[in-house]
Amino acid sequence: MVDRHRIELVVNGETETQEVEPRRLLVDFLREDLGLLGAHIGCEHGVCGTCTVLMNGETIRSCITFAVQADGQEITTVEGLASNGKFHPVQEAFWEKQGLQCGYCTPAMMLRTVEILRENPSPTRDQVREGIASQLCRCTGYQYIIDAVLEAARTMSAGAETDGKVLVKQGAGPSSAEAAAQTQGSGPALEEEAEDASRQKES
Amino acid sequence: MAVTQQPKVERKWIGKSIRRVEDPRFLLGRGAYVDDITLPGMLHAAILRSPYPHATIKSIDVEAARSLPGVVAVVTGAEAAELCAPMPDFGPAPDKHVWRCLAVDKVRYVGEGVAAVVAKSRYLAEDARDLIQVDYDPLPPIVDPEQALEAGAPLVHDALGSNVAYERTFTFGDVDKDFAEAEVVVSDRLRWNRSGGQPLETVGAVAHYDLGTGMMTIHCNSLTFSHFLFMMANTLKVPSNKLDVKPVNAGGSFGSKFWAVKVAVLSGMLSKRVGRPVKLVEDRIDNISNCDHHGSDRVYYVEMAAMKDGTLRSLRLRTIDDYGAYIQFGTGTHGNSLAQLVGPYRIKTAQYQVQAVLTNKCQQGAYRGFGSEVTNWMVERMVDLVAQEIGMDAVDIRRRNFIQPDQFPYFIPTGNMYDSGNYEAVLDKALSMIDLEHWRAEQKRLREEGRYIGIGVISAQERSVFSATEFWFWFDEPAAKVTSSPESVTLTVDGAGNITATLYSCAFWGNSAETMVAQLVAEEFDVEPQNVNIVYSGSNRSLPATGPGGSRFTVMVAGAVQGASTRIKEKMFKVAGHLLEADVGDLEWTDGAVRVKGVPERSKPMAEIAAWLHLFKHSLPDDIESGLEASKVYDHPYTTMPSDDRTNLGVFYPFMGNACHIPVIEVDITTGHVTFLQYVAVHDAGTLVNPRSLGGQIIGGTAQGIGTALYERYVYDKDGQLLTSSYMDYLIPSAMEVPDLEIGHEETPSPFTVHGIKGGGEGGRMMTPAALSAAIDDALAPFGVRCNELPATPERIVNWIEEGRSRQPELTE
Amino acid sequence: MKPAPFAYHVPSALTEALAVLDELGEEGRVLAGGQSLVPLMNFRLAQPTHLVDINRLDELDYIRRDDGVLAIGARARQSALERSQEARGAAPLLVEAVAQVAHPPVRHRGTVCGSVAHADPAAELPAALLALDAEVVASSRQGERRIPIHEFISGPFTTTLAPGELVREVRVPVSGAGSGYAFAEFSPRHGDFAVSGAAVLLQLEAGRVERASVALCGVAGMPVRAAGAEQSLRGARGSEEELEAAAAAAVEGLTPSADLHGGSAYRRRIARVCVRRAINLAFSRARGGA
Repeated sequence: MVDRHRIELVVNGETETQEVEPRRLLVDFLREDLGLLGAHIGCEHGVCGTCTVLMNGETIRSCITFAVQADGQEITTVEGLASNGKFHPVQEAFWEKQGLQCGYCTPAMMLRTVEILRENPSPTRDQVREGIASQLCRCTGYQYIIDAVLEAARTMSAGAETDGKVLVKQGAGPSSAEAAAQTQGSGPALEEEAEDASRQKES
Repeated sequence: MAVTQQPKVERKWIGKSIRRVEDPRFLLGRGAYVDDITLPGMLHAAILRSPYPHATIKSIDVEAARSLPGVVAVVTGAEAAELCAPMPDFGPAPDKHVWRCLAVDKVRYVGEGVAAVVAKSRYLAEDARDLIQVDYDPLPPIVDPEQALEAGAPLVHDALGSNVAYERTFTFGDVDKDFAEAEVVVSDRLRWNRSGGQPLETVGAVAHYDLGTGMMTIHCNSLTFSHFLFMMANTLKVPSNKLDVKPVNAGGSFGSKFWAVKVAVLSGMLSKRVGRPVKLVEDRIDNISNCDHHGSDRVYYVEMAAMKDGTLRSLRLRTIDDYGAYIQFGTGTHGNSLAQLVGPYRIKTAQYQVQAVLTNKCQQGAYRGFGSEVTNWMVERMVDLVAQEIGMDAVDIRRRNFIQPDQFPYFIPTGNMYDSGNYEAVLDKALSMIDLEHWRAEQKRLREEGRYIGIGVISAQERSVFSATEFWFWFDEPAAKVTSSPESVTLTVDGAGNITATLYSCAFWGNSAETMVAQLVAEEFDVEPQNVNIVYSGSNRSLPATGPGGSRFTVMVAGAVQGASTRIKEKMFKVAGHLLEADVGDLEWTDGAVRVKGVPERSKPMAEIAAWLHLFKHSLPDDIESGLEASKVYDHPYTTMPSDDRTNLGVFYPFMGNACHIPVIEVDITTGHVTFLQYVAVHDAGTLVNPRSLGGQIIGGTAQGIGTALYERYVYDKDGQLLTSSYMDYLIPSAMEVPDLEIGHEETPSPFTVHGIKGGGEGGRMMTPAALSAAIDDALAPFGVRCNELPATPERIVNWIEEGRSRQPELTE
Repeated sequence: MKPAPFAYHVPSALTEALAVLDELGEEGRVLAGGQSLVPLMNFRLAQPTHLVDINRLDELDYIRRDDGVLAIGARARQSALERSQEARGAAPLLVEAVAQVAHPPVRHRGTVCGSVAHADPAAELPAALLALDAEVVASSRQGERRIPIHEFISGPFTTTLAPGELVREVRVPVSGAGSGYAFAEFSPRHGDFAVSGAAVLLQLEAGRVERASVALCGVAGMPVRAAGAEQSLRGARGSEEELEAAAAAAVEGLTPSADLHGGSAYRRRIARVCVRRAINLAFSRARGGA
């Protein structure tokens, strides 16, 4: 007889109610019970950061959090970033700057970016570097990721000005689910052609 | 050999840093990795690992595990040996070092699989795993590779009679004469410890054995050498035409998913056993301890002969390589070494003794560089030692010995050919990007403050596109003289003129395989790269494909794309000739259409020709079949056979990239911590397809090179226990350990490949360990430090400084 | 790598939590941030049969200054400490230490009290709290006891917490005006457990050290106070020689056990370097710099 607990939580803006075994890891709950496959398993001991999601707007390791602990909380996964067929500015920037290679750490890296930019909308390169050090990436050597975070900072603050509204508030602002919802309409559509002029530091 | 290089032409898509076509799915979190796959009725497996490095399995009691509710099967190694033949093994004597998917009778390393559990969930499978009782009789382990050579050492495989799986000395030219005539001979013992790819996604597979059809379908994130999969079918005891391996996007590999077939075999075996789909995904401990893909683990005793003016004459070495408990790829990693044994230098003779040793550790596989990165480190370390001995500058000694641009194609003593290069141009570009004078002045000034900065300058090779001969030229009587490692593509143009490219290997493992193919196809047909659809074929109806590895994919797939495109165009020309009432010889391809030469208004766009071919067959000449599709199996473009006596190994790895890395570092002598002040990397990978994507490979490879040089090591203690079985102890660099690189590109096209492309996927890791070792030496020159072992961890650096101090008492604080 | 089954209790009030813990006795294990416990459970190195989740105990989510003491409740996250202006004023040493614990996503869940209860000998917070002469408040159904931290932690991953007890609060004496502080550590990779680290608190009087606290992590089975260094610093003005002498005294007699990231000698060396760096910074802060 397996002990099961009923949990109710908001995931990417939707209320989900399920019964789960207490030992079920949040990452398994998201992936297997909700089909949110963008949360990835990397090390299952909290080091690599691949499983990172937002809980109430803050990054957490979903591989060392039990699903029962998410009861009553608000979770945002990478699936909550894009809306209405449009990328979130962070996604757009990661594409533009090639802030990914295999894509496995990418959802977590982007969620951490959302948090970094909420806490500091115009970070320095060094601040971004230290900020993303919580997330291991084995492919990129981080340089293009840092470029992407800075690019997202630029487009988001430009977007905030042109839209006349703050996309992502500072401090304990709205959850990123709300923030993501607010970014609707910014950034080009996914289908849009994306010719790029490489502006990397190359000679 | 045909020289296929065209003169530098105006290209529309090749050479552009377009956004990658693969990225949207990953950005959306829809990467479709192997762990994302769920099949109806699917079960989950977990593997019981050996806690002992070396032990006899006396008995296994699985009763408690089997009776746990939710458990469907428990399979021991002995039972697996009934269900499966041994694993495919390209090693020297597969019958004497038999490798199986689960250990039988004896375990040979910590982490080796002993039994497998299949249950309704991974949680339950692990619960049951805990209930399996194994009675082990521990045996003394052999851990140190040099001790493994000694008489009386515990034997990893009794049937082999020793721990030496392979041993041979290759002599290329009159080495003795060069050493006798040398004015300077330097020697050293160098130690390169094992690290590994450690992709953030582990190896996984979902297998489905269909009892009704006898079809074994396995989705897995490793599919290479599709033409060798009959060996895996043999292991699984299914007919080779009833095995279909479906490639799945891999979340990184770096070599470590290269022919990573054990997990696929285990899942297939278990699916056959239970008659339902089975998912097996390694957890991190599995992947660290039991992935079959640890990297090179070498001891070198090496001598270099030179003249006082800095001319390098000869290289003579013995290398002992610790392969772990099995040797699946034989000494292929030393083939890589022999491909570029003399680096970018005119060293005329060489002697190479290799001793492949077995110990109680996880076996070696592939890791970015496949052994050639170790050779680069060794050669550059020895060149630096000669320079130090004769008091010559690191840059000058390299310039003096570079193979010159007019000497290509250049045959090195081992027989391999370097197709092209301009090493001095690469070096000069790197030097132009860094202010050496400034850093030398800073070095002097800071030393007076008790701070130590160092500059490393190295030049090294990146061989690309291996041929099959390097897997058998070791033997006088090889089992099979395999001759090519091909890559294939099928291009299909549908009735609306849209193009689909079918790939036949697990091409995407973090590289930009699809973007490469899209750009290459776009170049051929004047379409937008993102409009090219890329799909992957399962192995069952596969054309021969070798997949990524050895920096081969872009070069090889370019050949395949060009070949298939030519065939498509030939057919289109026929149709256009008919429609335009023109002679095929009067037609040309321009802007996505076939037209009468010089007459733009008499043209037929591809979409129209495709429509004719799909829908209006009977309006076309009789000899034209419906449809528009062509395949090309592109074979290795330049392979020659080894000589019978193996004094010449032939050409087997000919497209030779080159790079110069110049890091500037500071070493904190109180802690041994290394930080970066600047890092310049200039690479020549021939014609660039997508500069930014290559840049990404260079930077990522450099980050791994930093890991290898400073942080990463799979550590086994003297008792054979693995001390680094988690990411708390196996240290992958974070963003704080990796600097921003300043990247430069040179483009010396290969005369032998399509578009002149050379491979570049392993680049950074091929250079960085040598560059950082040189920089550490330079920083700590006042202490006489010589970086002769990697990783140079903070503690090791501190110990080197202390040893230096003890040699020079005046330096003591 | 999945945890073994356990029974889960999620009380919504402290009294309820203490009742559950009391009933479970030896069987009960508290789940707070879980950032150390859950990895151990995933490895199945820890297989508690009952977990008592205190994350619903909003009443324990506080960091407040009160009567010369900074009180940190069991539910207070490490990142809350890091952001707390009150803590920054009252115990800046602790805030500097917490910023060096792992990474933000870990600090978002990890709690201060949980770190103390876990008693990892390499951890930053226990060492900082030891330097600060903190007290641990252990609550149980039977009542409450206050335990000086040096008595609370009794060995590697071992404390004197009794079955049925909960670390309800950590109490940190407010650092006086004119004090200088620093937490310095070294790990090969950023964000990892340190090879060693040093927490230093200096109280200066007319430019001389009146009182010094020096504590180390990573050099023994539990965080240790460096009495020799504290002694040596008394009356010091911060000269190079004094710094060196104090750093040397700090590691005298220490024989850290070796592990992968550092042999015994290397750990001692790093401890000495960290002590020296921390004292140096603490002096400059006490003098009104940095």
